[in-house]
Amino acid sequence: MKTTVPVIAAFLSGFVMLLAFFFNPETSFLGRLEPEVLSWVTIVGGFTLLLGVVSIIRVNYSSVKRKSSGWGYKLATLVSIFAMAIPAIFPVRWSSLFGTGTGSIYDWLFNYIDSPMMSTMFAMLAFYIASAAFRAFRARNAEATLLLITATLVMLWRVPMGEALLQGIHGNLPNLINTYIMNGANMAVQRGIIIGAALGAAAMSLRIMLGIERTYMGK
Amino acid sequence: MAFSTGSGRLPFIFLILIILIMPVLSFAQADSGDTANSYFRIERINALVAMILFSVVILIYTRWAKAGKDLFIRKINGLDEVEEAVGRATEMGKPVLFVPGLQEIDEIETIAGISILGRVARITARYETPLLVPVRYPMVLAAGQEVVQQAYIEEGKADSYNKDIVRYVAGEQFAFTATVNGFMMRERPATNIYMGAFFAESLLLAETGNAAGSIQIAGTAQPAQLPFFIAACDYTLMGEELYAASAYLSREPLLLGGLKGQDWMKVLIIILILLGIILVSAEVSDWYLSMFESV
Amino acid sequence: MTILLVFAYILLILIGAFLLYMAFKTDDRRYIYAAVAFYVIFPVIVTLKLPITTSPEVKQLYDAVEALPDSSTVMLTFDYYPSTLAETEPMSHAALHHLFRKDCKVITMTTIPLGGPSIAERVTRKLAEEYNKVYGIDFVNLGYKANYVAVLKGMGTSIETIYPTDNSGTRLSEIPMMENIENYSDIDFIFVVADNSIVDYWISIVNAQYNNPVGTGVTAVMAPRYFAYISSGQMTGMLGGMKGAAEYETLLNKPAAANMGMTSQSLVHLFIIFSVIAGNIIFLTSKKGRDGKRT
Repeated sequence: MKTTVPVIAAFLSGFVMLLAFFFNPETSFLGRLEPEVLSWVTIVGGFTLLLGVVSIIRVNYSSVKRKSSGWGYKLATLVSIFAMAIPAIFPVRWSSLFGTGTGSIYDWLFNYIDSPMMSTMFAMLAFYIASAAFRAFRARNAEATLLLITATLVMLWRVPMGEALLQGIHGNLPNLINTYIMNGANMAVQRGIIIGAALGAAAMSLRIMLGIERTYMGK
Repeated sequence: MAFSTGSGRLPFIFLILIILIMPVLSFAQADSGDTANSYFRIERINALVAMILFSVVILIYTRWAKAGKDLFIRKINGLDEVEEAVGRATEMGKPVLFVPGLQEIDEIETIAGISILGRVARITARYETPLLVPVRYPMVLAAGQEVVQQAYIEEGKADSYNKDIVRYVAGEQFAFTATVNGFMMRERPATNIYMGAFFAESLLLAETGNAAGSIQIAGTAQPAQLPFFIAACDYTLMGEELYAASAYLSREPLLLGGLKGQDWMKVLIIILILLGIILVSAEVSDWYLSMFESV
Repeated sequence: MTILLVFAYILLILIGAFLLYMAFKTDDRRYIYAAVAFYVIFPVIVTLKLPITTSPEVKQLYDAVEALPDSSTVMLTFDYYPSTLAETEPMSHAALHHLFRKDCKVITMTTIPLGGPSIAERVTRKLAEEYNKVYGIDFVNLGYKANYVAVLKGMGTSIETIYPTDNSGTRLSEIPMMENIENYSDIDFIFVVADNSIVDYWISIVNAQYNNPVGTGVTAVMAPRYFAYISSGQMTGMLGGMKGAAEYETLLNKPAAANMGMTSQSLVHLFIIFSVIAGNIIFLTSKKGRDGKRT
């Protein structure tokens, strides 16, 4: 029963969504089912948010209670959760500071703390790519050398100074890189990977729907 | 039982339903010439044919595999190294970090990641190696906890299971990344396994893991992130190798059969592409290209 | 001034070479980080305007928007997170300059809940003020709705069903601009600015099923993936990263943030190339390199 019911549910859900793709939403019930089911998924997902909040509070609270190493940071995590969530939940009619609209506490915390922190983390990629390139781009063999040369040409092509350098070598070199590397080799490889990944995803979806693959349930 | 993997009746029930229902309902139109008012979207018939063909090929190979036919699968280095990598963590007394991607449970990459997590959890349960699985979404948390708990029970180590092995850390991409990076720099896990959908944070995770001295195995079907994992990780599974991982690690005939069927579909696509090239070059391709018009 | 500039850039090269030397000597990656930081900050202090040449993909997008009749209706999406503002916001700015200059009616929306609506509001209002555009007559912000697949599909039937009100709660039926706009068939062009895979859904749902032309602005990491879509005609041009935004700004004759960022980007790229070449020279001349062994 513990195995059969989820497998039946997976089959029926997948089959219904598959059918809905082939039916006209304007004239048939099956066609209208797809957006309806997607809305149900969003609603169920909303309820599961509670699971995440409980998990994060439990893990961090136990560290704060025991005053384990780094407990101050765990306390900051808990304070941040409540500082953003509580003012956002209260109705706007109580005060313009509540809710999630412009001028609210939530909006201020998002724009002046959360957003800059997100941008900073993303900006760190520039440093990490430099150290990864420095460490990993070694001409160990023919393939690695080809990768190195291609990466160098594309990096030069993507910036004005590099483009000027390439044009100095040969006036049409940037266009040749665009045509033969980006619109040639790159496009072919991307198409191959996309097709392969899509087939893999379709095969896995079919196996899950038919109950052949049940490892995601822990079986 | 109809829904067990053993009998295999379910796949054929599915195929019969598809083959019967679609054409029958395609005749149930308000006006046979008026496709806008029809129930069945006849313009999507090409997708239906492709789906039926795909299903038939997969099911045939699954049947052959079940009948005992020997199916070859090529070596995937990253997956072969998983057990050794966990062994390394056990010897060093350090934890294993497993990240099942940063997408929701309804994405197929996450399901593939959770499937691999089950296998990894069995190994860590067997060797009693600490395991940490940070997740970004609550539904992935629920699925992950179920899978890990089941793995520990199957290894007879139910007492070693701790609910906080799989923990929700943050819903925002970079908050999640910062938390995981912090864990890596503090705990210095011996092995990092990234299996699932990753985005801009892929290099942040992989480089931090590299700085922490961890052995890293990654797998994703996001083409944009593959170069970063290849540069920073010891082993990388590319695209469909991630989806093949479950079949590869378990070596279950049914799963391997599905994999072979998928490969034959790729051969068919290659043949169709080559045929298209010839027909387009000969300028007699209009009928052929119209078969593939996307809807 | 020119002499000072030359001197400044010679100094740059020497500082970069020194930091690289220290990185090799001490095997400490923080010297690399210091060099990158220096090359990003320096052009902010010592500015240098670089000539920007236009790539075919950006020209294609510019021409497509330029060819729209004045007063056309265009949907501009803000499908990006605050983390990628440096790359994507210049694209939105440039797009709005182009659209407002042509007196196009602009409908903005987002599929990103975290900051999407407020970014759309802030950017659009700022540029609307510059061009004396009136909310409700020249532009409208629909905001965010959950479940992007349902949103994209639903707008094909009725925008008002998906967005009964705009971002500030005004009913769509009360907004003059939305009077004659029911669904995608009333929208002349869709300009998607995104930093995630939502672009695939815009192409597969909106372009494939409703035949709306879709032009995109994406981050540099994502850009290589979409050359295939441009080649097949599914995408009408693309802005790839900050360089794409800079090219678009140049075509519009409105150099702004993206143009300013080009110098920093150029210097960092050149430094990385230089460090990779230097590293390879040392590797190849070392014993390990000569023996062909992995480092």
